[in-house]
Amino acid sequence: MKTFAALDVGSFELAMKIYEITNRDTLKEIDCVRHHLALGSDSYNTGKIGLSKIDELCRVLKEFRKIMDGYQVSEYKCYGTSAIRETANTMILLDQIKNRTGLTVEVLSNSEQRFLDYKSVAFEGEKFHRILDKGTAIVDIGGGNIQISLFENDTLVTTQSLKLGVLRIHEQLLKMQPSPSKVGLLIEEIADGQISVFKKLFMKDRAVQNLIIMDDYVSSVVKNGAAGEVKDGVMDGNVFHAFTDRLGSSGAEEMADVLSVPEENVPLIYISAKLIERLLLATGASSIWAPGVSLTDGIAYEYAEKKHIKMISHDFEKDILACARNISKRYMGSKKRGETLEEICLSIFDTMKKVHGMGKRQRFLLQLAAILHDCGKFINLTNVGECSYGIIMNTEIIGLSHAEREAVALMVRFNHDPFVYYEELAKNSLVDRETYRVVAKCTAILRVANGLDKSHKDKFKKLHTSLKDDVLYLSADADQDILYEMETFKERAGFFEEVFNIRPQIVQK
Amino acid sequence: MADFTNPKYYTNRELSWLRFNERVLSEAKDASLPFMERLKFLAITSSNLDEFFMVRVASLKDMVHAGYEKKDIAGMTPKQQLAALADALHDFVKEQYRICKDLEQGLYENGIRLIRHHEDLSFEQAEYVDKFFEEKVYPVLTPMAVDSSRPFPLIQNKTLNIGAILSKKGQEKDTDFATVQVPGVLPRLVSLGEENGLQLYIGLEEVIERNIAKLFLNYDVLCSAPYRVMRNADLSIEEEEAEDLLKEIEKQIRKRQWGEAIRLEIEEAADRQLLKILKKNLGVSGEDIYEVPGPLDLSIMMKMYGLPGHDDLKKKPYIPCQVPRLPAGCNIFEEVAKGDVLLSHPYETFDPVVQFIEQAATDPKVLAIKQTLYRVSGNSPIIKALTKAAENGKQVSVLVELKARFDEEHNIVWARMLEQAGCHVIYGLVGLKTHSKITLVVRAEEDGIKRYVHLGTGNYNDATAKLYTDLGLLTCNESIGQDATAVFNMLSGYSEPAGWNKLSVAPLWLKKKLLRLIRREEEHARGGRSAKIIAKMNSLCDPDVIAALYAASEAGVVIKLLVRGICCLKAGLPGVSENIHVRSIVGDYLEHSRIFYFENDMQPEIFLASADWMPRNLERRVELMFPIEDPALREEIIHILDVQFKDNVKSHILQPDGSYKKEEVTGERICCQEIFCEEARAQVKSQKKGKSRVFIPKTHIGQEE
Repeated sequence: MKTFAALDVGSFELAMKIYEITNRDTLKEIDCVRHHLALGSDSYNTGKIGLSKIDELCRVLKEFRKIMDGYQVSEYKCYGTSAIRETANTMILLDQIKNRTGLTVEVLSNSEQRFLDYKSVAFEGEKFHRILDKGTAIVDIGGGNIQISLFENDTLVTTQSLKLGVLRIHEQLLKMQPSPSKVGLLIEEIADGQISVFKKLFMKDRAVQNLIIMDDYVSSVVKNGAAGEVKDGVMDGNVFHAFTDRLGSSGAEEMADVLSVPEENVPLIYISAKLIERLLLATGASSIWAPGVSLTDGIAYEYAEKKHIKMISHDFEKDILACARNISKRYMGSKKRGETLEEICLSIFDTMKKVHGMGKRQRFLLQLAAILHDCGKFINLTNVGECSYGIIMNTEIIGLSHAEREAVALMVRFNHDPFVYYEELAKNSLVDRETYRVVAKCTAILRVANGLDKSHKDKFKKLHTSLKDDVLYLSADADQDILYEMETFKERAGFFEEVFNIRPQIVQK
Repeated sequence: MADFTNPKYYTNRELSWLRFNERVLSEAKDASLPFMERLKFLAITSSNLDEFFMVRVASLKDMVHAGYEKKDIAGMTPKQQLAALADALHDFVKEQYRICKDLEQGLYENGIRLIRHHEDLSFEQAEYVDKFFEEKVYPVLTPMAVDSSRPFPLIQNKTLNIGAILSKKGQEKDTDFATVQVPGVLPRLVSLGEENGLQLYIGLEEVIERNIAKLFLNYDVLCSAPYRVMRNADLSIEEEEAEDLLKEIEKQIRKRQWGEAIRLEIEEAADRQLLKILKKNLGVSGEDIYEVPGPLDLSIMMKMYGLPGHDDLKKKPYIPCQVPRLPAGCNIFEEVAKGDVLLSHPYETFDPVVQFIEQAATDPKVLAIKQTLYRVSGNSPIIKALTKAAENGKQVSVLVELKARFDEEHNIVWARMLEQAGCHVIYGLVGLKTHSKITLVVRAEEDGIKRYVHLGTGNYNDATAKLYTDLGLLTCNESIGQDATAVFNMLSGYSEPAGWNKLSVAPLWLKKKLLRLIRREEEHARGGRSAKIIAKMNSLCDPDVIAALYAASEAGVVIKLLVRGICCLKAGLPGVSENIHVRSIVGDYLEHSRIFYFENDMQPEIFLASADWMPRNLERRVELMFPIEDPALREEIIHILDVQFKDNVKSHILQPDGSYKKEEVTGERICCQEIFCEEARAQVKSQKKGKSRVFIPKTHIGQEE
């Protein structure tokens, strides 16, 4: 018997799920424990998690450990999210947790966290895909932020984070102390400011029919029908509006009774419901689906992927590619050129597999770099490298870790600007040696590929790549003059040769 | 439509309880019972009454002292309730002693004589008694006198004492009060041997009273009489403030001895001056004094019942039968894996429940055992098994309810024992009593983690399981296993789960579910569909549930209730409860199982539960209700209900005026408890012959009697 534990040190609660890897090589949830601990209220309010919360956190994590021992858990993954990320004493906190509980907590960036949340919905399988068929927005409401991911024709269009988390708003309200009748209006004001900007920038000409809701507050009462009628798990928008109105006009005690939830949760449920309501109005969506999944499900999904455990899978890389293409489109990148570059890069990557030793994920990062290779042009034509780097580093691409995002940004930057060696780069970047090596290798490939299409005239059609001795042959049916390409290629081939000790050579048929 | 919340449609719960005790007392009158059994029932009414005084009467007095005037379900203030109870209780006690006198006569006719007064002893008998006093009793007595330097002593709750008025020899006008406690360490009954074919006994209090002068040398004993004090024993624990619940409960138990005196029992012929002293110093008023024409503390009748011999005057003891699905020595896990098992106690033995934990303790595949414990027996094999499991490295979590009334002290002892053995002990939940009966065993099997669950309607108490009728379910149903895990996570302080598969948990969900189920029947009836509710429980006094039942009744739902004890619902009221039939079964075994049947338009749902339909169960306790889904087990339960409604020997039918009328035997004599004993024996026999175990219902539940 093999068991795995997924732990989430969240802003609102600590959660752990224990999974069993069955004989049929599938994951099965066998236990779930949650403990309410609003770490976020310290982080968002004072900027630091206080000592009493740290004590409570360690005590509960120790108990989680005992439960893990009871199930003879052999592997675990414990992630901290925005409350840990945003506290000023993150490193001290993580060290304390390690010393006091023996558990290693890894801190997720917002995009990593959202990607795991996204994976947890995908864990729902078929229904997820059925809903994505129509215009859909996944609204992931956390303690500190909400993440909105728009889907069109089963493809991710964009994903944006807004600083509208439930605990964050709750803390704001506590400071303002509005009268009960004003709470709803105040939440609307706080939310609408950011939602309207999102609408202007990303919602133009997009039709959203469904909202998929992920949160710790409303989801459970929507899912169990306590909030109103649910058909096949989906609630009509009007029913949800009526539920939100009722929440606003009834006392916390009454709603706690109606919803069978602790009374102290009712204000948080109301904030979450108001946010959803504002998004329903902004997007024009007519229904919501609250699958009631949590980050721990996403952690399990990630684990299952890594261990090749059977599950209904979703092609997340396809989503990330779609997202990158949308970013490129948004910054007026050339679709055709991007496709050519992508093709050349991947062809070289595959041919050089034995030499560079990189894997599938690195190939994917190179592909993203090819798609985003010129996004900086939108800002400044003479400083494309730096501007591209800035755009990529400041755009949420869910599914990429922070390190991966920086790797892609550096590849694009060094495609245009002189390559900076590790010793120099490390002065201003947190990139580790391994990532640096990937950046160097992929930059070398990207540069060669870019050199082949420097004129942007798509002269190299049907490129064939082959490796013989220490030479990479790039054979193409170029029916046009390639003198310009030959010249630029020479400049770029030098770096390629420096990285791989392989000389690239153009062969014109 | 009537206002179903109108207090006139409800019976006061205390008066209803008293009617229950009257039903128990009626068994003591039943000449058809083997004679000695009647003594037992009289003794039970006495101990029931003690508890009633210590808890219910005490609580009403507290309310009156605090000026609390909120009316109860039947529209009575605490003061009105006390007034109504005072007369009813005095009448009840009179009836107890009238029966006691009859039973003493019956004993005499059967060769046993209880010498009521030491004055009635013959010379030889008196000599023997005096010798007995000097050798056995005197050394353990602690006489206490009251004078200006010594205040009135603490008379401990429920103890039997001898009070006396003394005067120093030669100073008759100067009197003092003295008291001595009848020692609990000595047997209450003193045998005087046999004479003229009669076995002779005398109460220990009479032996002491006869010799009381020996305790106060230099004094003359002017008068003496046995008396007994009952005190407020309702613990009030400030849990929020109690840092250590265990210590706080220990403190409160000590305080129980000091609670307000709420009842004084004294011999009918006691000296008036003596009574006056007691009355003044104990602070009791006239209606709290019970002058009784017989032995104080009728639990003495249980001692008489326990006298050796006289088997011909007792019911033949029933030995609980083997559960056919779980033969001795079987692997419980393997058997349960084949399908759910229903256990019906005391007809079937409680051993499989003990074995379930014992086997788990030594089974290498078992990872964890989790259990809730409310009341366990003195030398509980379950505690032993849990201890063993912890020593074997299993993860053992036990929720011990320290607040189980009158078992607090006992529970503290073995909770500590479990903790020392390495179990993770949770000492109950703040503000709630954990009354649910659930055990979860987590096992790592070849095909993965499997959870085995036992759910019951009665406590994990192997001793009471021989006396109380209860049902239990052993299952490895995955949905129930998941819920059981969630229950224990909640009891460990973790957040509630997002939802439940099968179990309904009080205080958060159970009441709502019950009300939904009742209303669903009401809707079925209004829609012309088949609707019926059959429910069996110990007590029914939740106003919301009763109002829902009234509404359902008026919609046409047929409601049949088996309520053994308190029933605040009134049956057969025109326009309110015409369709409600209530009966109470009081028999050899205490009817304790909770069974709920909802017809649901010919798709019945059947549940078992640890909860009665009382506010305390539904709102202030952790309770569990679980469905029975296996078709064969459902048939068994339907059969149990069916036979109980056919009982015409031990059934009392609730009348519209709140009184009960005993069912009369017309035609075939049907005693449900006897039938269940016979059926359990027959099942074992047929099992031995290789036949399958399936109850064969005699009639369908839907048929009218």
